[in-house]
Amino acid sequence: MPLLELQDVTKEYKLGKTTVRALRGLDLNVERGEIVGIMGPSGSGKSTLMHILGALDVPTGGLAKLEGTDVTSLSESQLVTVRGRRIGFVFQTFNLIQTLSAQMNVELPMIFQKVSRKDRASKAIALLERVGLGDRIHHRPNELSGGERQRVAVARALANDPEIILADEPTGNLDSESGASILGLLKELSKTDGKTIILVTHDPEAAEIADRIVRLKDGAVRKESAHA
Amino acid sequence: MLRDFFLLAARSIAHRKMRSWLTIIGVFIGITAVVALISIGLGLEKTINDQVSEVFGVDSFVISPEGAFGPGGGHGSDTFAIDLDELRAIDGVKEAAAIRDETGFVEGLPDAEGETVKGFLSVMGLSPELLTEFPSFVGEVELEEGGREFTDTDEHVAILGSEIAERLNAPLGSMIEIEGIPFEVVGVFVTGEEDEPEQGGMMGFGASAGDDTVFVPYDVLFDLYGPAETVLVTLVRITEGADVDDVADRAETALNEQGAEIMAITYSDVSDMVGTMMSTISAFLAGIAGISLLVGGVGVMNTMFTSVLERTKEIGVMKAVGAKNSHVWIIFLIESGMMGLVGGAVGTLFGLGLSWIASMLLSRVFGIDIAVVASASLIVITLAGSFALGAIAGLWPARRASKLPVVDALRYE
Repeated sequence: MPLLELQDVTKEYKLGKTTVRALRGLDLNVERGEIVGIMGPSGSGKSTLMHILGALDVPTGGLAKLEGTDVTSLSESQLVTVRGRRIGFVFQTFNLIQTLSAQMNVELPMIFQKVSRKDRASKAIALLERVGLGDRIHHRPNELSGGERQRVAVARALANDPEIILADEPTGNLDSESGASILGLLKELSKTDGKTIILVTHDPEAAEIADRIVRLKDGAVRKESAHA
Repeated sequence: MLRDFFLLAARSIAHRKMRSWLTIIGVFIGITAVVALISIGLGLEKTINDQVSEVFGVDSFVISPEGAFGPGGGHGSDTFAIDLDELRAIDGVKEAAAIRDETGFVEGLPDAEGETVKGFLSVMGLSPELLTEFPSFVGEVELEEGGREFTDTDEHVAILGSEIAERLNAPLGSMIEIEGIPFEVVGVFVTGEEDEPEQGGMMGFGASAGDDTVFVPYDVLFDLYGPAETVLVTLVRITEGADVDDVADRAETALNEQGAEIMAITYSDVSDMVGTMMSTISAFLAGIAGISLLVGGVGVMNTMFTSVLERTKEIGVMKAVGAKNSHVWIIFLIESGMMGLVGGAVGTLFGLGLSWIASMLLSRVFGIDIAVVASASLIVITLAGSFALGAIAGLWPARRASKLPVVDALRYE
């Protein structure tokens, strides 16, 4: 059974008076442990697909299954639990909480899962050490470089040991060197930890770490290829 | 988890220092007003009650023309007449004393040129027991050396206020005439220091009072003017073991049955009256202070709405990493509650400080000592109330934050 399975997924939303059909019958399977790159021009439905894969949003039509469970039938609070425990997010703009230290940012997902204070702290420190920020745990986001911030975000994504890491343009706001190191980190997570990584990107270099590339156009899969 | 939410809220407040403080000032002004008014009010009530209880003790009550206290006070009945012997005969009454006020024609001694000073003066009849048995009502009285107070057997004797003694040229031991009848001056009151706080007791004697009044024994006024028509006040002391309210009721009933229109006032009556009056005033003032609290609450609400808007993306992130709507709701409520609480804490300190200053001023300027009442319950209720104020003001913004769709919130720039 694929880890993620989308069948004939459609997504429509209203923008003012017009109805936008962001996804128009999209099929996609993601296997455990693979790195899937999702590419496509702006407006091709990448972000919408990302939201559905990340249980942030539910499709208007079709099936979206996570390990065989149809997420479209889940309540809002069940969706929260799914994304809180099984999915880690890495965003283009890092999206760290500015008022919190690196450690607290990493602890945040664990707070909502009611992990004890002690376990949380040691886990957060271990994760920050793992992404190479062992000496930056008390720094606030604005005291860190872009690359460092994205490392904190990766550590945060790993906080609740999710199976899936969803990275939305993770290198989009980074210089090529920092970008490369983040990509290296993601690749390592796939190889050594068996994480499933879904990488939405424009960046051909980013796409290089993918085992497989899914190209979207007009809300559907235009082409799948083994490599970029 | 709640502790972590407090931490998250505190970080957020601290991050927006300027705005948070301005919001907190809005709350603190209202709380300051409320705390100051309540503690001054309670202090005033306590002070009045203490003084009243000091005067009355547990074994005395006052008989006064109906309506002399309370609404329309002072316009008592003119036909207030009391036979003290009848009053003394009532079960439970140990001692009764009265004050009666008349205006009399008084003439002093001729001076060196043979001139006499004469004219109409206030002539007060005092029961001899008044000074000996009811000192707390009369206050500290001091007579010039050689003078004495009235005794039971006194008839045509007088005690003069110091000022009038001088004007009438009537020193101790001399004679004056009241309505043509000679009276021996057996005492002259010593005038108190002007700036000395009033120790006058309930009747306002002592110290400087009574300066231009001629005092004679109560019964003598009967000979001069007939039955009493304008008794100012009658004091009654009850026998040991009797219940003051019972005796007061009996006296009131007995005297009113004989046609007197009087009321017997005990300590608990006065205390009740003071309490009613103070709580009316306090409620009124608290209402005004409440308006400023309302304004403070609206300030908190405004700040929270701004905060929700600014942190839309942050809310999206929290939800993306597993925060439930209820989590977001609680975090924002705590945040607004904490602003209320800080405002409340600062306001309590300032309010107590303000009432302390007010009591200092009252004691310096007017000589009234008011104990500032800073009870623990007042402080605890105020702090809890100010947290609640903030939290209530945050209900709506927090709800809006919690209902933000995660996808829209994440997209928000």
